[in-house]
Amino acid sequence: MEVFLGIDIGSLSCDGVLIDSHGKILAATVVPTGARNLEAIERVRREILQTAGLSEAAVQATVSTGYGRDRVENRLAAVTEITCHARGIQALYPDTDILVDIGGQDSKAIRLDRQGGVQDFAMNDKCAAGTGRFLEAMARALQVDITELGGLDRGARDNLTLSSMCTVFAESEVVSLIASGTETREIVAGLNRAIASRTASLVKRVGGDVNALNVAMSGGVARNGGVVRAITAVLGRPLAVPDNPDTVGAFGAALIARQRFKGTAGHQT
Amino acid sequence: MMKSYFDDLVSGIEARLAEDPENRSPRKVYALEVARLGQRLYGETESVAWCGVTAPFDLLAAMGVTSCFVEFVGAMLAATGMEGAFLEEAEHAGYGGDTCGYHRAVLGAARKDLMPVPDFLIATSSPCTGGLAVMENLARHFEKDLFVLNVPQEASDAGVRYLADQIRDMAAFVADHTGQRLDPARLRQAIDNTNRARTLLEEAYQLAQHVPSPVTGRMMGNFGVVMALLLGTEAAVTVARTYRDAFARRVEKGEGGLARENLRLLWIQNRIQFKNPLIEMLEKDFGAVVVADELNAITWEAIDPDDPYEGLARRAISIPFNGQGRRRVDHLQKMAASFKVNGAINPCNWGCRQGTGARGLIGEGLKAVGVPVLNLEVDCIDSRNFAEGQLRTRLEAFAEMIAGRPSPWH
Ligand SMILES: Nc1ncnc2c1ncn2[C@@H]1O[C@H](COP(=O)(O)OP(=O)(O)O)[C@@H](O)[C@H]1O
Ligand code: SF4
Repeated sequence: MEVFLGIDIGSLSCDGVLIDSHGKILAATVVPTGARNLEAIERVRREILQTAGLSEAAVQATVSTGYGRDRVENRLAAVTEITCHARGIQALYPDTDILVDIGGQDSKAIRLDRQGGVQDFAMNDKCAAGTGRFLEAMARALQVDITELGGLDRGARDNLTLSSMCTVFAESEVVSLIASGTETREIVAGLNRAIASRTASLVKRVGGDVNALNVAMSGGVARNGGVVRAITAVLGRPLAVPDNPDTVGAFGAALIARQRFKGTAGHQT
Repeated sequence: MMKSYFDDLVSGIEARLAEDPENRSPRKVYALEVARLGQRLYGETESVAWCGVTAPFDLLAAMGVTSCFVEFVGAMLAATGMEGAFLEEAEHAGYGGDTCGYHRAVLGAARKDLMPVPDFLIATSSPCTGGLAVMENLARHFEKDLFVLNVPQEASDAGVRYLADQIRDMAAFVADHTGQRLDPARLRQAIDNTNRARTLLEEAYQLAQHVPSPVTGRMMGNFGVVMALLLGTEAAVTVARTYRDAFARRVEKGEGGLARENLRLLWIQNRIQFKNPLIEMLEKDFGAVVVADELNAITWEAIDPDDPYEGLARRAISIPFNGQGRRRVDHLQKMAASFKVNGAINPCNWGCRQGTGARGLIGEGLKAVGVPVLNLEVDCIDSRNFAEGQLRTRLEAFAEMIAGRPSPWH
């Protein structure tokens, strides 16, 4: 059996997706990147082959992506997460026009053509405001688990605006809001709206008038239902969110591995 | 310290050039003349003027004045990896960290006595008023006289006369300070050198447009703006001729600067001045070459040696950075077409209104002719703010993106 591996080494998680020669997902895995990304990469390789019941020899080609993409050994190519997320989402939702990807330390909006290619993209500025790490810091300040944060905005009256998106200032603002008795749901809804408004400006930079466009979302933050709801509200468009939004990049990398492998094999014959 | 730095630099480059006198690298010939300028600035033997970017350097050369725009100091400090201490000095003195790094570095350098004390200063209101404020500041710091050239935004007859009159007044101001009258024969010679260099530069830029281009990404960085400092001298002619000849040889042989040129890029405004791997990364990983820089262009006509003032005024007014943003857009659209570029990179230099303020207009304008633009948002001087990984990802993604589509010029 011929299989292709995509590995996405993000700032927080290291994801792997294994596909067969038809592009069907055979196995996927997510492990924390941790301080030593080489170990995380090895763990992903090991676990994913175990799950699929295959040996290393079955892997025809590996493409790596994510900020640690250059650290992956035995790769056919390293491709940026922008190109990989675009390819991955196009395979899942072929009519996607714009992809919002919010991961651990950056957020981006990507304009796609219908072939899974990138037409344009915009990324957040240097700081991590409005990214996954920002949300983690806020969850800490609120003393809730990050996985719970996504449901805590329900029932909010949406009357709170945060004055700063700097992680440090926002964290102390959240602490003082808690101290002054502000309800958690208002704080969480305020945070979500702030992220949504930054995201919307990235989307508008690449998409202009988004009214007629299909928008999807990937990256770990797409697991946060509150953020997804807030972005939906600001854009006035429904967001297509895959079941495993954090492995879209690795899936795209696997698809590129398959395509490029076939391309080179084709040239050789 | 700086004097010996430039002395070493000059002798080092001279030795390298002497190794293969038949095949002198144009970049080295250029670097040699820039180093010699540094030597003169710090040599304490000649009259020195600190200037704004659009000052008439050839006229100043004809009057025996070694002159340089102050932003040069910022670029030099960054290139040698020394900028940090000077930026901090300026910040400690109260200058905001979100102003242009060239200017912060210069203010820090003046405060730390790294800049030669000038005999006088000549400011220009173009390309940026921040630069003008820095010149006022430096004049106070050095306790020297400042002459301001107010560059009008349009090349109307009245505008040209207005600036030409100011340049005449400037010549009188310089003569008062140096004690030397302007010698008409020297002026004519200087203007003649300027015109000869101008023709050669125009030819070199034309040759650079060839597919594949004879340039590599490093060859032309900062070139146009720094060449202005050499105008009026024989050195400008030598440098321009070396480039022209080197390009002509390559074009004749059908050779590109890069063995395999896949993508052609246009760099907007100025380069990132500190050492960084981005240009090499683009070339090595993607065969993507910066074949054109916004500032490497001749936007002015030859100057009349018998009555140079109006010509000098027209030249200062002609730079695309002067006047409405639309002028930059027009200029960039033309460059994109003549160099057949696949994409453009705008560093959007931190704190620069030309850089960040015009980015939307420029992005739209180039997109309209089919050329996508990548905005980097980088401080071109301050390496302390350099997020290499992030910039790499943006550049790589951009290269991946344009590699996947046909050139807009096919
Ligand atoms: N179950 C979850 N619920 C809510 N948010 C989540 C969940 N899982 C991950 N996240 C968010 O996703 C972020 C990590 O995104 P990810 O795409 O994995 O980042 P990276 O690619 O940089 O490693 C975390 O910081 C967190 O905010
Ligand atoms: S980068 Fe901008 S602000 Fe700085 S000197 Fe140049 S034009 Fe002026």
